[in-house]
Amino acid sequence: MQIGYFFLTILSLIVFEITSFASNLKDTMSFGFDTYSDNADIQVYSPTFSLFKKVSRQWMLGFKMRVDAITAASIRNGANVTHVDTVTGASKGQNPFNDVRYAPTLIATYDDGENTLSFGGYYSTENDYEGRSVFANYVRQLNEQNTALGIGISQSFDKWVPIFKRALPTSKRAERKIDFSINQLITPRFSIQGVFSYMYSTGFLASPYHYVLQSDIAKFENYPNKRTGEAFAFKGVYLLNRDTSMNFSYRYYTDDWGISSHTFNVEEYHDFSSKFTSGLRLRYYTQTKSNFIKGIGDYKANDTYFAIDYRMSAFDSYTIGIPFIYKMKGGDKLTASIDFYKTTNDVYMKSWYGVKSMNALFTTLSYEFSY
Amino acid sequence: MKTIIIVFLALYMSGCSQKLVRVMPYEKEYFAQDKMSLSPIPEQSEQEGHVFLIREASAGGNSSFQGGCGCR
Repeated sequence: MQIGYFFLTILSLIVFEITSFASNLKDTMSFGFDTYSDNADIQVYSPTFSLFKKVSRQWMLGFKMRVDAITAASIRNGANVTHVDTVTGASKGQNPFNDVRYAPTLIATYDDGENTLSFGGYYSTENDYEGRSVFANYVRQLNEQNTALGIGISQSFDKWVPIFKRALPTSKRAERKIDFSINQLITPRFSIQGVFSYMYSTGFLASPYHYVLQSDIAKFENYPNKRTGEAFAFKGVYLLNRDTSMNFSYRYYTDDWGISSHTFNVEEYHDFSSKFTSGLRLRYYTQTKSNFIKGIGDYKANDTYFAIDYRMSAFDSYTIGIPFIYKMKGGDKLTASIDFYKTTNDVYMKSWYGVKSMNALFTTLSYEFSY
Repeated sequence: MKTIIIVFLALYMSGCSQKLVRVMPYEKEYFAQDKMSLSPIPEQSEQEGHVFLIREASAGGNSSFQGGCGCR
């Protein structure tokens, strides 16, 4: 409740502090196509579209649409092969795709050069899940635009609709996220950013489909119905020479389920010409296990919590990727990326998906232009 | 959490310090380039944010919004 008053105070300050400077808004449109595939038989094809239109000197309205078309994915461990829990949700067996998720977002933005306020709403629907969220983000430029302070908040009001009859303890899932960020220019070639995120989730936080199967037990997953997490991130970008920059970040995450993680990311970008930029990205991630997951075969019928999802276990992952940026006439831009993702071996992955480790390939392709 | 909010509010209200004006407007040409952005390819940031969110148990550390889905 105190946080609510805090944000009301901030928002009331914003109203008084917004002044008239040059706006950075412009009319843009983009078309994109993303893909995801992994060795657990999951493929996702995602066309994306965005449209941003200035409605006055300082106000802009935006619309974004993402569609995730998901192909068949089988679950081992005795599950019905038409019941899949894929990268974007569990679903029915329908051809050619098992599930299609539609996710439109509406955004309104105010920008006067010193203050940027964005807010909007998100809705998504798929066979077994409805997502509804509202979000707001405010950034204030200070010190002749050397410093930027940002506050963001989002609140979701999601709902599970399992594809087979199962009485969940609650079908609701709500997630709140609050971000504080600070950006600072250090030199004409170096800038840094610090971000703190606070996350609070309630409701049914497990998958309705995952279950623990032992000789004496058959139980659906059951997690605590509340989760509080915090993340601290430090990022920076440094110009090594006129054509090459180095982008780096570190994040520490911790939550009250006992999971903590470290994420390191390094990206190098090089201008091969005035139009073409490419580079290399490397990411390393490591997490500890949750405090309620047990070894496979170790659960007892009277346990409170049951977890079989590998994401509740300890594992590491590695990502290597290549980005591409091609600038065209009039400011039009074609961007693409390809990333390969691999986790370390995990017995829970083997148990559920039948693979020793998760190997995934994901790509993006986007064309953005002003109109 | 409270401490962070108070520190942040203090920074917000004070406008920090003029000592933080370290780069003059005429020195900012590099920051206009794609490669000097913290997210040079927004489409990639959005996609990878979604992938990592559903393949790993961690979240946060960025100021971008990710909508909910039945994958977590």
